[in-house]
Amino acid sequence: MSDLTLRNVIKSYGSTKVIHGVDLQVRDGEFVVFVGPSGCGKSTLLRMIAGLESITGGEVAIGGEIVNDISPADRGIAMVFQSYALYPHKDVYGNMAFALRHAGVDKAEIDARVQRAADILGLRDLLHRRPKELSGGQRQRVAIGRAIVRDPKIFLFDEPLSNLDAALRVQMRVEILRLHQRLKTTMIYVTHDQVEAMTLADRIVVLHGGRIAQVGTPLELYHHPDSIFVAGFIGSPKMNFLEAALTGWSQEGAHVQVPSLGEIVVPVSRQGGSERETGARLGIRPEHVQLADPATAAMRGEVLVVERLGGETYLHLDVGAADPFVVKTDGAVSARSGEHVGLAFPPHALHLFSASGAAFPHRERHRTLAEPQGA
Amino acid sequence: MNTPVRTARARTSRLRRISGTASVHAVLLGYTLIAVFPVFLVMMNSFKDRRGIFGEPLSLPHAGTFSLEGYATVLSEGSFATYFGNSLIVTVASLFLILFLGAAAAHALAEYRFRFNALLKIYMIVGIMVPIRLGTVAILKLMVDLNLVNTLLALILVYTAQGLPVAVFILTEFMRTLSRDIKDCARIDGLSEYRIFLEVVLPLIRPVLATVAVFSMIPIWNDLWFPLILASSDATKTVTLGVQQFIGQFTVNWGAVLAALSIAILPVLGLYALFSRQLIAGITSGAVKG
Repeated sequence: MSDLTLRNVIKSYGSTKVIHGVDLQVRDGEFVVFVGPSGCGKSTLLRMIAGLESITGGEVAIGGEIVNDISPADRGIAMVFQSYALYPHKDVYGNMAFALRHAGVDKAEIDARVQRAADILGLRDLLHRRPKELSGGQRQRVAIGRAIVRDPKIFLFDEPLSNLDAALRVQMRVEILRLHQRLKTTMIYVTHDQVEAMTLADRIVVLHGGRIAQVGTPLELYHHPDSIFVAGFIGSPKMNFLEAALTGWSQEGAHVQVPSLGEIVVPVSRQGGSERETGARLGIRPEHVQLADPATAAMRGEVLVVERLGGETYLHLDVGAADPFVVKTDGAVSARSGEHVGLAFPPHALHLFSASGAAFPHRERHRTLAEPQGA
Repeated sequence: MNTPVRTARARTSRLRRISGTASVHAVLLGYTLIAVFPVFLVMMNSFKDRRGIFGEPLSLPHAGTFSLEGYATVLSEGSFATYFGNSLIVTVASLFLILFLGAAAAHALAEYRFRFNALLKIYMIVGIMVPIRLGTVAILKLMVDLNLVNTLLALILVYTAQGLPVAVFILTEFMRTLSRDIKDCARIDGLSEYRIFLEVVLPLIRPVLATVAVFSMIPIWNDLWFPLILASSDATKTVTLGVQQFIGQFTVNWGAVLAALSIAILPVLGLYALFSRQLIAGITSGAVKG
């Protein structure tokens, strides 16, 4: 059993509180990603699980055992750092064997484990190189190998790919996923990159200001964000927001008045929203906006910038709101800056947030989420 | 049409670069001459007889003036080997203590957050500004009370105290730049804080240790003041003090003095070569760029 439980975990430095009571249950074998903007406390939380930061309040339990006062080495965890943190004066083999040698594991066993990790990661030919003779990707692989040989209950990754270039990051991302499929060990992964979070995680924990903003599978967060923060954080390009006024409720959902769009109905339920609430924000993802005939479209905008990525094109539009409104369209779209385009919104893709930032829940769950997970 | 213009311009910029390099070298060469000349003079004259030293102090030894009588005097004087031994023991022991204790203190100051950390650092570093010689009388009294007068230990303790402030200062600043991750990684690997210091931190700071060693070594080896006051007995004399026996009230055996000084240069030169290779190896091994 190597599940992880956080109960009301608190961290303060002097009088400054940085983690405000986090509760989380990670199941055995699960791949959980902590994601959030810098300073949200995700690395601190990981370091508390590792035992590198003291726990001011609450409990951390690994495999049912409370580890608050257990040293990092005895928690059964292994950690991979952003800066690789290899020992520069030891070769690859020495780096991977170091913890085992220190723990007094016998030589044959060390050798077997190092060779196995080297096989998994393709490091067999590099075992006698020094870290300075390796490329960034190879160094990170050694760092992962060093974690594997310890045969930990939980792997902790602290932004392991942030120092790599874009192409290598994609490759290593896939390798980490395959490693998880192969080892089936619980993994906790910290990143600020929401693409990494979406692609790697069984479940994502979005942190904001030292609190959990939402926990859920990648698609749950994408389709049903609990708050405007999560909606804006997950998804790229970022969700568009428009100021709106709530005018009333009916059987179909919320009636909102949006400048430049008129009155529309958003199919959400009122759960939790107060009677008198009138201020709101409407959200729509760039990929859910459709281009339409400007003459009849619900909304129109002037093209400010066209970003062509080949397969797709991002249009940045001026729709009279404070921020540009981004639309993701086909790569072959003929729009040019200065032109006016019409926009249409499928109602089920609209999100509505109260003035305080909480989301009004959708009436229907997204259909891909209704299917059984992991089937 | 373009080509000739460009060549002319290239030529002037090349000339300017050469003259710039030349002037830099001229300054460096000039400084080297000034620094090396006295040493050269000492060594050159150590191979002359008394008449040669006084008659032609600036000329190279030749058949008429060449003599090894200075070296003969020094080497036949039995206790000189002891003086050398004393100097070496004092220098090496002090260096070891300065480097080890300095690195340990610097590690603690750079790594751990605790009350009075900043205050403690200032306290250690203030020593740079206060010359240790101001405390000579108090140090002498202390050594008398501790029964350490005329022991090498007295010198070692004083030189360790003298060298620590600079060592702590340089090492703390450098240790701040060490990656935190690597120490955390060692913690997860199960190393105690002591072993992290010994097995992870010390190997990483080797080049800086060499720098500190070179800085600390020379003043200790060259010092005359503390050996004179704290350890002037025949058994504890250092080289610098031992040389004084050739300087009499009425006559000075210059040949012997110069020969002794020439010999005294060699061990420090050796130590310096040892450290400087470490220093250069450290710089070129890419220890800084991860």
